[in-house]
Amino acid sequence: MSSEGFPSFISAQLHYLVNHSPQTIKVEQVWSGCKYSGSLDRFTLLIPYCLDTIKWDVIYNADFPLAAPDVIFGPEDEEFHPFHDNSADVTATKNSLSDWNNKDPTRLLALIQELRDRYMTYQRKRVGEVDDDRLKFEYSTMLSREGIEMHMNSGVEKPEEVKFAVPLLDMNINKMVVGCPWRHQQRIYLQVIYPVNRKCQTTSLVGWHVHGEYLPHLEESLERQVLEAVSSIDVRRRFIEALAPLLGRPVETDSVFYRKALFFVASGNFSFLVLIFLSTQFPKQQPALMLQSSLYFNPQSMPIKSPLLTEYPWSPRWESSQMAERIFEFLVDESLNFKKYCSEGHLQQ
Amino acid sequence: MAYLQLQKIAISGPTLASMIQRLSSSPGDVDGFIFGHVTQITTLSDDTSSSDNSASQLTATITSFLCSGSPLSFYDALGRVNSPKVPSFNQQNHLLGWFSGRRQSAIRPSMREFAVTNSLSKIPQFKFSIKNSSETLSPCVFILFTTPLTDQLIHTHQYRAYQFNTSNKSFHAKSLDVVNIGPAFRGHYDNFAPNCALPLMNCSAMDEESMYANKEKVTDQKQLDLCAEGFQIERLRRLMGPEATNYTEALEDLYEKMLAKAESLTRLVESSSAKVFELENNNRKLRYKVSRSAGSE
Repeated sequence: MSSEGFPSFISAQLHYLVNHSPQTIKVEQVWSGCKYSGSLDRFTLLIPYCLDTIKWDVIYNADFPLAAPDVIFGPEDEEFHPFHDNSADVTATKNSLSDWNNKDPTRLLALIQELRDRYMTYQRKRVGEVDDDRLKFEYSTMLSREGIEMHMNSGVEKPEEVKFAVPLLDMNINKMVVGCPWRHQQRIYLQVIYPVNRKCQTTSLVGWHVHGEYLPHLEESLERQVLEAVSSIDVRRRFIEALAPLLGRPVETDSVFYRKALFFVASGNFSFLVLIFLSTQFPKQQPALMLQSSLYFNPQSMPIKSPLLTEYPWSPRWESSQMAERIFEFLVDESLNFKKYCSEGHLQQ
Repeated sequence: MAYLQLQKIAISGPTLASMIQRLSSSPGDVDGFIFGHVTQITTLSDDTSSSDNSASQLTATITSFLCSGSPLSFYDALGRVNSPKVPSFNQQNHLLGWFSGRRQSAIRPSMREFAVTNSLSKIPQFKFSIKNSSETLSPCVFILFTTPLTDQLIHTHQYRAYQFNTSNKSFHAKSLDVVNIGPAFRGHYDNFAPNCALPLMNCSAMDEESMYANKEKVTDQKQLDLCAEGFQIERLRRLMGPEATNYTEALEDLYEKMLAKAESLTRLVESSSAKVFELENNNRKLRYKVSRSAGSE
């Protein structure tokens, strides 16, 4: 996101919002409301909500930097009035707009967070009011789950439906993956979509797929899969480390998931690169290898590459050191073939 | 109180054009007030068999507006109306509601626009009576002006009129009836009410003049004399008949004096507008300075 063209007080707040929000908020489009200066002062934010995004327009006035911004919600949310409800006037209570300070870069984020929280409450209330027996039942069983998000779709063209985003597994995946690249907390959600059926059929509860009961089983198997995936990262890392004494330090490695490694090797006066691709099924599935010459080029001036090599002696039961040794042995033999292949390709020019 | 629904909102072409002009000439977003009156028109239906054979319709007619020239002029960031900042109004012109004009934004009421409309409709002193009816209404009209987000070459402005439903707190889009002069709009002038009362001409005999009227006459004469530049009305008589040619010079002299006065007035207006423009520019510069310093701190 570029904050160029914004007056500094807006760009400071926007920058803070994009970099500090717990969700990944994106700025979609920017506009200017000024006749003369052309300073950008209004933009559309894409805010993740219920495994989808909502679009809110934030309207500042570059000519009036002290004025608090205004927000335009989506066309579907005409009834969303975050600081008003019918029972009481919420404007009397303090909120993130009540003592606006444009010098404080954290304000926009605070405002958007508060509005998003209120939007969550608003959607939850709407879903709770839908006259559908099955939905009412599911609503009551899932309501207790922390962090659940709901969305009621009432578009004119689209069929009425209710979406749930149920957070699963209370585990910190970010901490489990060493060198994790994510700034935001990674979470796994279950998305459930119910078409709204106001004329309730007389189906018995037994026939329903009750999510309240289904969720614990789902979480159990998910947890197993997550743990397996995390431990397989470690297996791949150890394998790449075992290759280092034989092939030298890798030139490049995918240091988060260890799915790729690149080595620079020489056999006599013939030097080439070895690319190693590891699938998520490693070690059950053997790594795919590709050799790339650093000396020979094809007529398009691209380095000559070998086809993907997947047929060589392999056993998933070997120790990683043995795996590395076998690959090294295979590469010693294969380098001769590749050298021949390269020089032939070179001569053809 | 039951929700009284407006059938339509009427506005004269020049008033609408002038509102759009205010938006397009302002440096930033604008807002302001809408004045006018609401009339109940009872139309007889064809069906005479039923006892209640009349249908009444409410029409809001916008007669004037006041543009603030800056956003947030009479409300705060939360949209709470500061009622002393709302201008006073008279018997003919009620506060019907307000308008908001913002460039390059979606044509939907924003969070603050909802709050302002809601707050304005709740202030009891702004309630006004409907013509031809015993009912009262709160300011509930909101007109939104925007410029399109894309392609402003052909389509430069857009507007939407809403009535705010005070009972369920929601906006209802209403058609804005643009009233122009012509046979097609004759019906609109049935409920015409002049903004200024026409002055009553005293045509009756001179002997009925009271002391008060005499006094008024003296002040009127003084004002006239100011314009006449010392040219007495009696002298006009000499413009008739054969001696008229001798007096053209005197009359030309009068016109010249009047022109000079008009010219000096123009110059005064010009220099004062230049001063206003300079002040506005200065204000803008100060605002930019504030916005720059705000970001860097």
